[in-house]
Amino acid sequence: MEIFLSIPFLIFMPLAVSLLLISPLFTRNEIIVRRFAKGVFSFHFLYSVLMLIFFDKANPYVNEIHFFGLDWVQTLGIKFIFRIDAVSMILTVLTSFVFLLASVASKFNIRESHKFYYSMLLLLMSAILGIFTSADMFVFFLFWELELIPAYFLIAGSWGQTDNKNDAAKNSAVKFVLFTFLGSMFMLLGILLLHYYNYISNGILSASFSDIIDSPIPAPIQIMIAICLLIGFGVKLPIIPLHSWLPDAHTNAVTPVSMVLAGILLKTGAYGIYRFNYETMSESFQTVAPYLAILALINIIFTAFVAYAQTDIKRIVAYSSISNMGLVLLGLAAYNQIGFSASVFHMVAHALVTCGLFMIAGIVYLRCKNRDINTLSGIAAYMPRLFGFAAVIVLASIGVPMFAPFISEILTVIGAMNSDLSEVLKFSAVFSLPLLILSSCYMLKFLHKSFFGEAREDWAKINDISVHEFVVLGAVLAGLILFGLYPNAIIGMIG
Amino acid sequence: MLNDIFNILLPHVCLAGFIILQLILSMVLHPKFYRYARLVSVLGIVSSIVLLSTVQTEPQYFAFKNSLMSDSYTLLFDFMILLCGFFAILLSRNLVRTIKGNAYTYNAIFLTALFGAINIVSANDFLTLFVSVELLSFATYFLIAAAKGYYSKEASFKYLLTSAISTGVFLFGVSYMYGITSSINISDIYEIITNQEPSIMYSISSIMIIFGLISKLAVFPFANWIIDVYKGTETSVLAFLSTVPKLALFGIVCRLLVFPLNNSLELTFAVAFISLITAFWANTYAIREKNVKIIFACSASANSSYALLTASLVSVYNLSAVIFYLICYVLMNIAVFAFLNIYGDKNPMDTENFKCLFFKNRTLTLAYAISVIALAGIPITSGFIAKIYLFSAIASSGLILIPFLLALLLLTVVALYYYLKILLPLFTKCDKNIDISYLQSGFSQKFVIYVTAGITILLGIFPEILIELCKFIAYNI
Repeated sequence: MEIFLSIPFLIFMPLAVSLLLISPLFTRNEIIVRRFAKGVFSFHFLYSVLMLIFFDKANPYVNEIHFFGLDWVQTLGIKFIFRIDAVSMILTVLTSFVFLLASVASKFNIRESHKFYYSMLLLLMSAILGIFTSADMFVFFLFWELELIPAYFLIAGSWGQTDNKNDAAKNSAVKFVLFTFLGSMFMLLGILLLHYYNYISNGILSASFSDIIDSPIPAPIQIMIAICLLIGFGVKLPIIPLHSWLPDAHTNAVTPVSMVLAGILLKTGAYGIYRFNYETMSESFQTVAPYLAILALINIIFTAFVAYAQTDIKRIVAYSSISNMGLVLLGLAAYNQIGFSASVFHMVAHALVTCGLFMIAGIVYLRCKNRDINTLSGIAAYMPRLFGFAAVIVLASIGVPMFAPFISEILTVIGAMNSDLSEVLKFSAVFSLPLLILSSCYMLKFLHKSFFGEAREDWAKINDISVHEFVVLGAVLAGLILFGLYPNAIIGMIG
Repeated sequence: MLNDIFNILLPHVCLAGFIILQLILSMVLHPKFYRYARLVSVLGIVSSIVLLSTVQTEPQYFAFKNSLMSDSYTLLFDFMILLCGFFAILLSRNLVRTIKGNAYTYNAIFLTALFGAINIVSANDFLTLFVSVELLSFATYFLIAAAKGYYSKEASFKYLLTSAISTGVFLFGVSYMYGITSSINISDIYEIITNQEPSIMYSISSIMIIFGLISKLAVFPFANWIIDVYKGTETSVLAFLSTVPKLALFGIVCRLLVFPLNNSLELTFAVAFISLITAFWANTYAIREKNVKIIFACSASANSSYALLTASLVSVYNLSAVIFYLICYVLMNIAVFAFLNIYGDKNPMDTENFKCLFFKNRTLTLAYAISVIALAGIPITSGFIAKIYLFSAIASSGLILIPFLLALLLLTVVALYYYLKILLPLFTKCDKNIDISYLQSGFSQKFVIYVTAGITILLGIFPEILIELCKFIAYNI
């Protein structure tokens, strides 16, 4: 069985399908394109689940690609090598799942250029899977940059949703590209220095993570490298003050794209911090971790207040994403087993929650042509099923027991409290607790203002959720309850 | 002497023969036969490329009393120069049609410029170098002025003035060098200098020599010409101007930096510093510009400054990075100007005029987009590998260069902004039915753009083979 499970297939299958879809040979028939893409995403999800089933922690999947018997760039010691360990496995399956949800959610949101849309979605998936599985710094960087192209087109496109936000979407896409590129240039500096000083101190010309782990680089240079890398990942995560691209991009993109952005793209930043700083350069990470904890705390508290001030549903969700990613960062900064598993767990939990919330925002927007919570009111009366889902997912997102975010939030705080690094961590843990209150403030405000109250007459014509939307929300909810009741599925795998 | 010719000079002789042939044809043939002028040039260049196989490279071969030399390094540069000339002459379809009667003269001048360029790389003597540089420059003035209209004449005159000043600086440096070493032969100077204590005169003279040469690469104090020259020049000539002189001058500058002028720390510092200022100037200048040609002018200046910074930190590794970068860069540039050539010089060149081109002709625009993406250094193109290789060379040159490297990396973010300004209109949808009949082109132009864009992608996926070649050549210099 295991010979059939190869990482290159996992990564490059979507890429190949994306090229097939965009080629003029493929039919332009909307329904065939959509169903074909959905089929590919489902197949990919099943394949990744199969890999998860046969995953053995002691013996992670490793694949290496040679080009004509050579390494990719032998001169720089760059190998096209992929490795899936526990964290990568979890995030791979999560990626596959979120993209499947996004493709299902695309039915009502995408009205034109189907071929281009699905091919960009597949290309983005390929790039993100490359980030999660590559075991070489430069290959990681390659996928990190490659992701810019599909992400730009996905955010910038209006995909047939006829409203006058065309330019706003383009501008926010440019902003996203420039911010990410700025971050990735810092990251490239870090990678180049890490590569060179590892060569100097270790004598191995290699860019593989396994050759760089704990290399005896002088401490000041290590810290410099760590800061460069953190700026790079901090743009994606995002860490305040590098966050300003995120609300714009998430608000102006169409619903499935927002789901992918918030669900997966932000996790690449957290994954990068884990892979580079936490695992590979642990020595310098222990030095910078207390400062990271402070930044995480600012992320958590500050953006929660900002989210409370928003009136656009998508902006509320976007800011809550930043807040939640602060929690992920805090878990990593704790630098112990509990904090680390909590942060991985929270990545999964937050991906599910945020997918659900963006889906709800998208459904509301499609029906009411409006996302402003001050003008929405009483839609619960006409959309009872949507209200049911919304209420449960909102409750899950603010950390009510029985749902996944509850576990991860509690574990993060416990992890930070138990951290041996510095008192700052304990301080951050204590002060991150108000997140639970703050998040309930803005989330319940959203629920209350848009769903309760007096129903407007224009809502009389709107329909409740369709089967596709039901499936997406149901899948999200199932995931949230599953991991809420059985958190060991993830924690046991990491720990 | 005959021996020398047969050993290393056959490509040069062949090219010179074709120059004379073109001149004779220009007098003999009726102007209505103008179509065959390009064919003759292509024949000349291809036979020169074939004759490169006869050049002796192992060991280094010196000819004409040490005034010319050849090794694998010059061979590679000769090959690249001739290849770029080949592509540029293929692109000159539209230009040749407008100047009809002068087509043969134009082609003769074009081949003269190529002859000068390959001579620059082979020069082992400051006198030969000077003559070759002048040959290239003088031919280039005419090439720039060949197109009709006021701007091309202005561009030609500006180029002439800057070249004249830089030649003066160069000759002044050479005269100092002659004063110190009483020789103008590069190999001899190297031997004399290595046995001497480095003096301040030596530093001044090497700075002047190098600055006289690199001002043709649009480096800061003499950089402004590039804006007007690119704006006024016909695109097929630009495909030549942005590649051939760059290759030739980088070829000789890298050799000079490795051999006779490597004793001077001041020179390294000055070149590195000037490169940084150039990169800053070029990238920030392009932000406000709307004209695509001017943006590419700034990008040309910026890109040569990255390579120059790397070349100034002399080491084998850096040299191979520079060579690899140059090869990737010229191919991208040719694809870019091939597209602009197909787009048509008569059409307005502002970025917004490029709207919706993608939906009119997808493959051509995709090839163009790939080349611009490669210039910005985004995978999976050769530009990505070249950027990593070049910057890793700078990173390995010492801690003191990290601020330089950081500055360059941040400037590439600025560069991405103006590349996006070029790219994004292509993919904008527009409702009105614009007339894009001008995107129809001859076979030769399509051939150039597809081949160069294809190589750009291939080198992005399989870079190792070319990198090995560059390393081999850098070791052998």
